[in-house]
Amino acid sequence: MMKWLHNILEVFREELHNSIFDEGVIVFFFIVPLLYPLLYAYLYSNETVREVATVAVDNANSATSREFLRKVDASPDVDIVGHCADMQEAVNLVHKQKAYCLIYIPSEFDNALMSGQQAVVELYSDMGSMLYYKAVLSSCTEVSLAMNKDIKAQRLVGATDKQVSTFNHPIEYEYVPMFNTQSGFATFLIPAVLVLLIQQTMVLGVGMMAGEEREKKRRGILEPHVLDKTPAEMLLGKALTFFALYAVVAAYVFCVVPRLFHLIQIGQWQDMVAFLFPYLLACIFFGLTLSGIAHNREVFIIMFVFVSVPLLFISGISWPSCSIPHFWKVVSWLFPSTFGINGFVKINNTGALLRDVRPELIGLWIQTAFYAFTAWLVYYRSYGKHLKDSIEVAEVKLQARWAEYL
Amino acid sequence: MRVMRREVLRMLSQPVYVFCMVVAPLVGYLFFTTLMGQGLPMDIPIGVVDEDNTAVTRQVLRNLDAFQQSEIVEQYANFGEAREAMQQGKIYAFYYIPKGTTELALSSKQPEVSFYTNPSYLVAASLEYRDMKTMAELASGAIARETLYAKGYADDQVMGVLQPIKMEMHAIGNPGLNYSIYLSNILLPAMLMLLIFQVTIYSIHSEVKEGASKHWMEMANGNIYRALAGKLLPQLVVWIVMGAAYMVVLYAYWDFPLKCGLWPMALNALLLILVSQAFGVFLCELLPSLRWALSIATLWGVLSFPISGFSFPQIAFPAPLRALSYLFPLRYYYLTYVDQALNDLPLYCSWASFAALLAFMALPLLLPNRLKKCLLEYQYTR
Repeated sequence: MMKWLHNILEVFREELHNSIFDEGVIVFFFIVPLLYPLLYAYLYSNETVREVATVAVDNANSATSREFLRKVDASPDVDIVGHCADMQEAVNLVHKQKAYCLIYIPSEFDNALMSGQQAVVELYSDMGSMLYYKAVLSSCTEVSLAMNKDIKAQRLVGATDKQVSTFNHPIEYEYVPMFNTQSGFATFLIPAVLVLLIQQTMVLGVGMMAGEEREKKRRGILEPHVLDKTPAEMLLGKALTFFALYAVVAAYVFCVVPRLFHLIQIGQWQDMVAFLFPYLLACIFFGLTLSGIAHNREVFIIMFVFVSVPLLFISGISWPSCSIPHFWKVVSWLFPSTFGINGFVKINNTGALLRDVRPELIGLWIQTAFYAFTAWLVYYRSYGKHLKDSIEVAEVKLQARWAEYL
Repeated sequence: MRVMRREVLRMLSQPVYVFCMVVAPLVGYLFFTTLMGQGLPMDIPIGVVDEDNTAVTRQVLRNLDAFQQSEIVEQYANFGEAREAMQQGKIYAFYYIPKGTTELALSSKQPEVSFYTNPSYLVAASLEYRDMKTMAELASGAIARETLYAKGYADDQVMGVLQPIKMEMHAIGNPGLNYSIYLSNILLPAMLMLLIFQVTIYSIHSEVKEGASKHWMEMANGNIYRALAGKLLPQLVVWIVMGAAYMVVLYAYWDFPLKCGLWPMALNALLLILVSQAFGVFLCELLPSLRWALSIATLWGVLSFPISGFSFPQIAFPAPLRALSYLFPLRYYYLTYVDQALNDLPLYCSWASFAALLAFMALPLLLPNRLKKCLLEYQYTR
């Protein structure tokens, strides 16, 4: 009675010991989850790009054009680092990466304003990053809208302020970014990276351990605790080990890291736990299944590292999932990270409740069940009927070694 | 030559090589370019809370729906329902039109409508913001324009009155703001770089692991340079083909901007491939164990993606990381790409990046004897 529980716990104890003393596993289970989030969060800690270096060519050189440039310079996202006499000089500065954007005010600027035509300001942006473009366009647009209001007010002689403003904007618009109020990069990307990191490091670590074990077996070394266990006991014992380790890792990654970097975290902790529980389980069994397929530890690392970046994209966090081709969407359902990232972001960033993430939650439980089954199949093959063979092989080798020794 | 023949046989006999050198890069290329095939996400689902529900507000919403990037998928009865839909990820943004908007507008009392986005999904939210902004300007303008036409203004005068100062934006090299141009141009070579790091390290250290490294060194007459050249040249041929493959995908099939012509970027790609191999060798010299070298290469390779600054710009990093970014070869590839393919500068303007890549290539010359010793003496114990 309770023999199975005893067996599971024995496997748990031995595997825990194995993983804590395997340096390769330590890298993936502890060092990477410890350092990577810090590095990533620190990298994006400014959230957005401020004071993008910009050069100005002001051929109009009038009170209005100078006012425009002064106001743009004062805005938080643009910093006018130089005023150039002509376009050639300005373009050279951009090419030397002294500036990333260029504001060109043509000489007709004032004439156009005076004669009631549209005065055009030309903006140029280096497209090495979309964020330069965004910074210069939104700053200049804001300034131009404000100045347009004043210009129109001056023209509507004799109108009251209220009449002017109604003329400008019959309907007032208000823009509210919710949940990520400064449209920051860290707030948007880090939660997804954290969730993905859990899956990737777990699968790599589990794969490494399995590879290690298989190599030992090939050389005729069998762990003593493997004997007289059923495949299911082995599987559950190992799953328990990884769960115990990753409960600690997850607590650090999801509680400590966001707090260190003041990232948004408005979910209910009960919902977070209830969601991350099946995510960890799905990752564990997913890893155990893959580890059974991987015959060579290092090849496994190469391939799984390779898919990291595609997995981040396929989750729909950066490229919206409504625009992901159907084929890739189906592929994405194979990975726990897809549901994990989406559900976690919803709970953590937008304060969604558990019932709001039901599709993801169901997805994770289905994956857990499915991969638990496939993992059991893998274990049945390696610890079930073949176990006897390998024990015999081990004994033969042991005898051979004894013979050598004697 | 004998070493090279031996290496070709190894590459053919182990499926690892075929998989990591040919299948994986091709699948990766296919993945990113088809994922972002449209360049910009189309028909992003958004919602509406129209508490006013008049002919005017319905007209405004129809206009919004006509924008290519937005699609109104749902009308919600109140703000709370729309917020929940946003939390569930069903919509990325919604309009809120409070009761009485039309009445206020008609009586010139300036009502306010609001637009909410969820920048937890940054790309979708910023595109929605753009549509919303255009829409707001157009809707406001439409009403004012009618007034002006009634007063007898001509077309060009109307715009001069409504919008005295206008911005005209030029996105150098990527006028359509195509996200695939923005990202795939670096993602594809970065993936190839990551694979080269790892395959190079695997191919060297697996010799030790299999106990074949002595045989390998003997074939090269004990000369470490000859041994490495014999091993890496056949691989280089495959990598060059793979590098050419991504250039064909990007610049021939998808016709991405390549203002400088083919050769500067081909040179850039070739240098990145050589540097990746050299960096792999250097890590093998530094870390005489397969798993450690591979782990470090993994971390370095994956970190290359964000730290090269192609998505979130390097100027916005904290200072220590800005300095650190110069230790990543991908950073230089990216700089040259911007200079050449997007901005069409003369080739000499990229000399600093090319020089940096050449310096990376010299790294393996630092510790060759350490690797030789490792290959000849190290016993794979675990």
